[in-house]
Amino acid sequence: MPNVITANNLTLGYENDEDIIKNATFSIKKGDFVFITGPSGSGKSTLLKSFYGNLAPRSGSLVVGGLDMVGISKKNLQELRTHLGIVFQDYKLINEWTVKKNVVLPLWISGYSTEVQETQAKRLLHHVKLTGKEHKYPLELSGGEQQRVGVARALAKNPFLILADEPTGNLDEYSSNVIWDLMENACHQLETTVVVVTHRIPMVFNIPYRHFTIDKNGSIYEVH
Amino acid sequence: MKFIKQHISLIFPLIAILLGLEFFIVFDRTTDSFEKGLKAGYSMIVVSKDEMSIDDFKAWDSHIEQVEELEKSKILERLNMNKDKSANKSFESSLPNFYSLKLDGYLTVDELESVKNNLQKSSNILSIETFQSSYQSKYELFSFIKFSFRTFIGFMTILGFFLIVKQMEVWNFLHAQRMKVMEIFGASLFLRSKVLINMALIDAIISAIMTSWLFYLFKNSWVQGSQMAILKENIEGVFKFSDVFILLFAAITVVLIAVFLVVINIKEE
Repeated sequence: MPNVITANNLTLGYENDEDIIKNATFSIKKGDFVFITGPSGSGKSTLLKSFYGNLAPRSGSLVVGGLDMVGISKKNLQELRTHLGIVFQDYKLINEWTVKKNVVLPLWISGYSTEVQETQAKRLLHHVKLTGKEHKYPLELSGGEQQRVGVARALAKNPFLILADEPTGNLDEYSSNVIWDLMENACHQLETTVVVVTHRIPMVFNIPYRHFTIDKNGSIYEVH
Repeated sequence: MKFIKQHISLIFPLIAILLGLEFFIVFDRTTDSFEKGLKAGYSMIVVSKDEMSIDDFKAWDSHIEQVEELEKSKILERLNMNKDKSANKSFESSLPNFYSLKLDGYLTVDELESVKNNLQKSSNILSIETFQSSYQSKYELFSFIKFSFRTFIGFMTILGFFLIVKQMEVWNFLHAQRMKVMEIFGASLFLRSKVLINMALIDAIISAIMTSWLFYLFKNSWVQGSQMAILKENIEGVFKFSDVFILLFAAITVVLIAVFLVVINIKEE
């Protein structure tokens, strides 16, 4: 299987701040399901941000989807992002848009027809158990429902890589289960690579996975 | 309600700016024609020993545009001295030459004084009458009105710009989240700002139409019924159809600059 993410001596840090991730070397292959854990402030979210180009490597190299993230052009970054599915702990939904419009955002950005958007929205909302709520606004939904909209949006364009930052933190059991099921299915059936940053790996997980952990010094180890 | 409020908060300052612009255009047209009237109605009288041509006068001061020699017989007529024709003939021949001079613009009082001083340098010129006191009072009144109106327009425009800056802060608050999310999912700058551009363009069109309509009403009701000769004489200059395009262009330029400034200031978290 080809590598989807390759890091070599990757060092990350914010402007005028100390290094957070230090000399990380790892690779993630197509179809891998990866959990990244570590204590608070260890740099889990920082690492995830670098995967979608929100943070440029300070040193070393990082290749995502065949694109070198060091000095990546805006155009290439935009193109890469249209092929990623990203899930945030705080959902990052557009509150003035309906649930359906939020779900089809990646399709709209890529210029898909209204018919395709309609069909995908119906299918995805069915998968995340939100049929009938397509015309509601995010703030009319519970936290769990909002996160399910976020996951549906991440899956809308069948991305090659799903990046999820604490997708089930503070969610009820039902919503958490729906979300893990969807991610497992995407990985298992579509060979989508999934990278999840989390505090806790779910007790019941039905597919093989890899487990990276980051220690307090910003070093990354594969533990499972 | 929220939708209307969002639009009004941009339309209102835009109208303030456009009213300022249109008032400036109208005022410039009207005063320009008034200034031409003042210029046409003004002339200075010069008395010279020998005859002088326009080039002779221009050699002393370039502001002199037109020269008309006043007939001596008519001057005597005005003075009621033409009763004895034979006496008049000899008197007329002993009179100096009288000229009415027109200038190339409505000069300031200082400029007028300088024209007088330049002409006085000629030994041929015996006397100059500039009618300065009447000229000065007209000029000062005209200058004061011009200054007051321009100051008012300036304040209106500044107020409009301040309100637009305020509106830009509101836009930043309302649209930043959506634009950041869209950026994360790979939307281009144009796509991210499309909603804002569309809204701003609609508001620019509405503002230009409303300002044009206000001036159309102003022209067709208030100006026609007003006693202000300066406006009535130049009614065509109060509002021209072509002004709609000037206003539209100005409104679109202002909103696009505002949108651009907002968009480039929204940075991904």
